[in-house]
Parts: sequence; structure tokens; C-alpha cells
Amino acid sequence: MTAQLLPRAGAVYDRGYRPYEGERGGRGAARAALVRVSIRRALGLRRSWRQKVLPWSLLAIATIPAVVNVGVKYITRNTPATNFDLITFRGYVGVSTTLLLFVAITAPDMVCPDRRNRVLPLIFARPLTGNDYVLAKVGALTAILFGFGFLPQVVLFVGQMFVVQGGALDFVRENSEVLWQVPVAVALFSLYWASLAVAISATTTRRVVGGVALLATVFVSGTVASMLVSAGGAGPGIFEGGSLWGLLSASDIPLGMSDLVFLGHVDPVSLVGGAQGAGIGVVMVYVAVVAGSLGYLAYRYRGVQ
Amino acid sequence: MVDDLLRTKGLSLRYPSGTLALDELTVDVPRGSVGLVGANGAGKTTLLRLALGQLRPTAGTIEVVGRAVADDPIGVRAHIGFMPEHDCLPSDQTAADVVATLGELAGLPPRAARQRASEVLDLVGLDEARFRPIGGFSTGMRQRTKLAQAIVADPEVVLLDEPTAGLDPIGREEMLALVGRLADFGISALVATHLLDDVQRVCDQVVMIDGGKLRHAGATQALLHRTGALRVEVNDGAGRLADLLGVAGVAVTVVDDSTLDVRVDGDGGHVLDLVRDGADDLGLALHALTTRRTSLDELFLDQPQ
Repeated sequence: MTAQLLPRAGAVYDRGYRPYEGERGGRGAARAALVRVSIRRALGLRRSWRQKVLPWSLLAIATIPAVVNVGVKYITRNTPATNFDLITFRGYVGVSTTLLLFVAITAPDMVCPDRRNRVLPLIFARPLTGNDYVLAKVGALTAILFGFGFLPQVVLFVGQMFVVQGGALDFVRENSEVLWQVPVAVALFSLYWASLAVAISATTTRRVVGGVALLATVFVSGTVASMLVSAGGAGPGIFEGGSLWGLLSASDIPLGMSDLVFLGHVDPVSLVGGAQGAGIGVVMVYVAVVAGSLGYLAYRYRGVQ
Repeated sequence: MVDDLLRTKGLSLRYPSGTLALDELTVDVPRGSVGLVGANGAGKTTLLRLALGQLRPTAGTIEVVGRAVADDPIGVRAHIGFMPEHDCLPSDQTAADVVATLGELAGLPPRAARQRASEVLDLVGLDEARFRPIGGFSTGMRQRTKLAQAIVADPEVVLLDEPTAGLDPIGREEMLALVGRLADFGISALVATHLLDDVQRVCDQVVMIDGGKLRHAGATQALLHRTGALRVEVNDGAGRLADLLGVAGVAVTVVDDSTLDVRVDGDGGHVLDLVRDGADDLGLALHALTTRRTSLDELFLDQPQ
């Protein structure tokens, strides 16, 4: 009988250490990576399905008004109600406030675990500074909020474009201003909430505390502003004739900015609407909140330059 | 010419609190495995943070692998891996995710970072555990994960801060074996520790600091040889031989009636002659004459405070 060598089923190799000889980025690549990693985490990418449910559900919910509006437009396109709008582009920016819950969960999740788990020394052993970290985190949240605020607007615009009676080109011509107003308003809205939320979250190492603190800031400031506006003789906020006390409401500032972008003035039907200098007041408070938040964050992470 | 691993000149750092952490430290350390030893508070971690560009010196200069840290304190980190002493890993993420993420932050492209993470985790013995959350890891596995993230971007040098802290004897052996292999990978290691035995076993160079000042620097074996002692065994009369050698200016420690340790500096030939002649003059039988190498612990404790 002839002996025959049979192929082995498997083998173990000690590949040892292999030096890395591929592409290697510098500080810019590290910054981009931090933004990418933060966005991935916020959207639940490469994480379990549980982490994906909230962000993608919220995006779906935020898109529902656009889909409904497009449906209504389609049904009423040959009727007298053809000009009826369930929701306007300006109003849709306000709908994005529904993303506040998402912000309250996501912003603390972006920064609190890094400090709580003492990961920061590892991050700052890479070619990154505290300012890089701050800009990456705020930038990541701004980008996500922009996406979640802008995509439903795209659905609204494109959907209406194809169902309106006058045709797509006429619709675009009649609504050409929206093409710059919407991205600018949504970007301002996103930057405001991202800066404020990350700054508040950075005050604590506990995610739940960060989220509750943000929601408390919004609701307490809104309530106080409403009370002060009412005490000043104006309506309780939803009636025309507000006062500058309305500037104390954290959630009204980005909506006021949106009004300025779309209308050129603050909507009279708001807490500050109709008050003398309301527009300038909104811009000043907006800048103060964003700059103050970023300044605080730079201070908070200064020790790791 | 290969640049030194670390080169400092008149390096001082005084914290805002007034504490002088490093006091005019001047040392040149060649590449390889280098032990940075000193008691707690000696300035080891401060020196590592200066090497990483995370602190700015009060005076003096520091170079890491030929790069002046002051010229590019951020960019120099692209060539350095860092393993902190404390626990610094997020417990809700897998080792593969953490190491890949930190690889990306070091400038590697995402795909390459994941590939490298897989390789280095395999190398440190976490091949099967790399997809498990770190929260379930033992201390030894966490330390190995920390080492993996330090080398994931294939740095020129790794700074290891107390790599065996908190490990049981088996874990310590495994960690020391890994640290000892780094030189084979072409990665120099600066190992900060207060465990002198660790340094003696895996480092071919040693830098000894105390109170922010340099005590010793040089090849480990040379230091041990230079400060070696001679163990002399005679029949009862060690005291008389000690007296005779003392008169000749030789430092002697009497261990018991028949044993004494004689301090030897340089090649020791002169001392050997004195011991031989002294024993002969006193009529003592010389039973043994052996070289006893001093441990780093003894060398460290022997220094004037």
C-alpha cells in the first residue's frame, strides 16, 4: 500500500507584528475621524439595533408632516383648496424642535462617557487639542441635526414640486428663495442647539443629568419668559404683542432667527414678536448663546491642550 | 544616525500650585526599552505629559525621537503611543471598536484602523475576546487592550505609565513579556514605573529620577555592574577583615561573623588584591569570593536624599 500525504485541515500561523506602511493622516485626519466617530455613535452605526431605534425613528417622525403635506397637495391639486398648506417651509423649521428629545439624549452621549470613563487622556495622546475636540463634537451634532432638519424639507419641496398643478418648474420659480432660506435657517437652528446641548452636557459626567439639565433649561427658561411677558401686560406668548423678556426663552431664539431668515423680522405671534428691537435682540442672544457655549467648552477642555 | 528616543536639556516644570515637578533634567536616552523609574511623585508622569506635548515646560527643551516637542507639540503625538496608568476604556464598547476608533484618531483610514486593531489585539492575546464589551474584561485584559491601542498606529515610541499596575503575578508576567517584545517590533518603549524589578527584567536602559532630579541614566547592566558588590566568605574573622579594608578606604558591610560585602567601583581589581592580601595578613581562610550584583532597588535606595 502506498502512503499518501493528505492535505491538512488547518494550520496555525504566528504572523507576528507587521509594521503599518499605509496612508497616515495628520491633525486634519484626526479631527475628521473624531467627527466621523461621533456621528457614527450618535446614529447607532456599528452598534446594536437598540441604539439605532431612536435616531432613525425620530427622522421618520420628523418627515411625516412633509409626506402628509405632499399627499394633501396631490389630493387637492385640482380643487379650490389647491393653495392650502398644512405646513410651510418656515413652520417646518419649528417642527424640528421635536428633535429636542434626540438632542437631550445624543449630546450627553457624545461627551459624558469620555470624561466619565477617563478616555480623554487617550484621545489627547493623539494629534488633537481641546479645541479640536470641542469643534468636532459640536460639528458632529450640528451635522446630524442639519440632516434631520433638512431632509424632511427636501421631501416637502421635491414632493410638492411634482404634485402641484402648475408644474415643477413653476413651483421652483415661485419658491426659489426657499432654496437658500431653508438650509440657512436649518443650519442656524442646528448650530444653536448643538452648541448649547454639548455645553450643558459637558458640565457633568452623567448622561442622564446632562439630558435632564438641557430639557430643564428649555422648559424653565420658556416658562419664566412667558410669565415675565404676561406680567408685562402682553399676551402669554401665543398672542401678538410680546416683549423683550421673551429673549429669555431658550427655545424661542432659534425660531426667531428662522423668522429673520424667512420674513426679515420676528414673527409677531411669538414671545418677543412686536417688541421694539426684537430682531436685534434675537440675533444678539443667539450669538451670545453660541459663543458662550463654545467659549465654555474651550475652557472646559483647556487642560488637555 | 538614529535619533535618540528622548533628549532633554535643562527641562523644568513648575505647576501653577508652585510644585516643582521637574528640576533642570538633562538626559539623552537612546532608542530601545527604557525604564523611567522613581518613587510616586518623582516626576515620571509629568515627563510623559511633556513628551506628549500636553504640558509646556517652564524652562528647557525636550525632544522625542528627534522632534522638538515645542516646535510641534500636537504633531509629535502622531509618532507616539501612550498607555496611561489609570483605567481609561469605555465599558460599553468592544475592544475592537475602541482600538479601531483610537487608530482612526491617530490618523489611520477607517478600514486600515479596523485591520490594525484586529492585528494588534491578536498580538496581545485578545483575538477571541475582541468583540466582547470591555465591561466584562479582567484587569489583565484591560491592560492588554490599553497596550493594543497604544501600538495600533505603529508608533515609533510608546510611553507606558505603570503597565503592570494592579496585575496579578500571571498577568504581570504576560504584560512584561509583551513589553519586552516591543523592541522586536521596532517600537521603542519608555516604561514609567516604581517597580524596579520590572525595569531590570525588560529594559536595557534606565533613567532614574527622584524629586524631579536625575539620579542615574545609562544601560541597565552597566549600572548594575558599576555598583556591584563583592561577597567575601572567610572563617570567623569577617569583622577584623572589615576593619583592615576600612583603613584602606574600602566600603564594607559585615553580614555575619564569616561574611562581608565589599563595595566595588570600576573594574574592582585593586579591591580584589586588598581582600586577598588582607585575608593573608590576618591568617584567614578565604572560602569564597563572588560578585554580587546590586539590584536597582538597592541602587535607588543608596542615593543621598
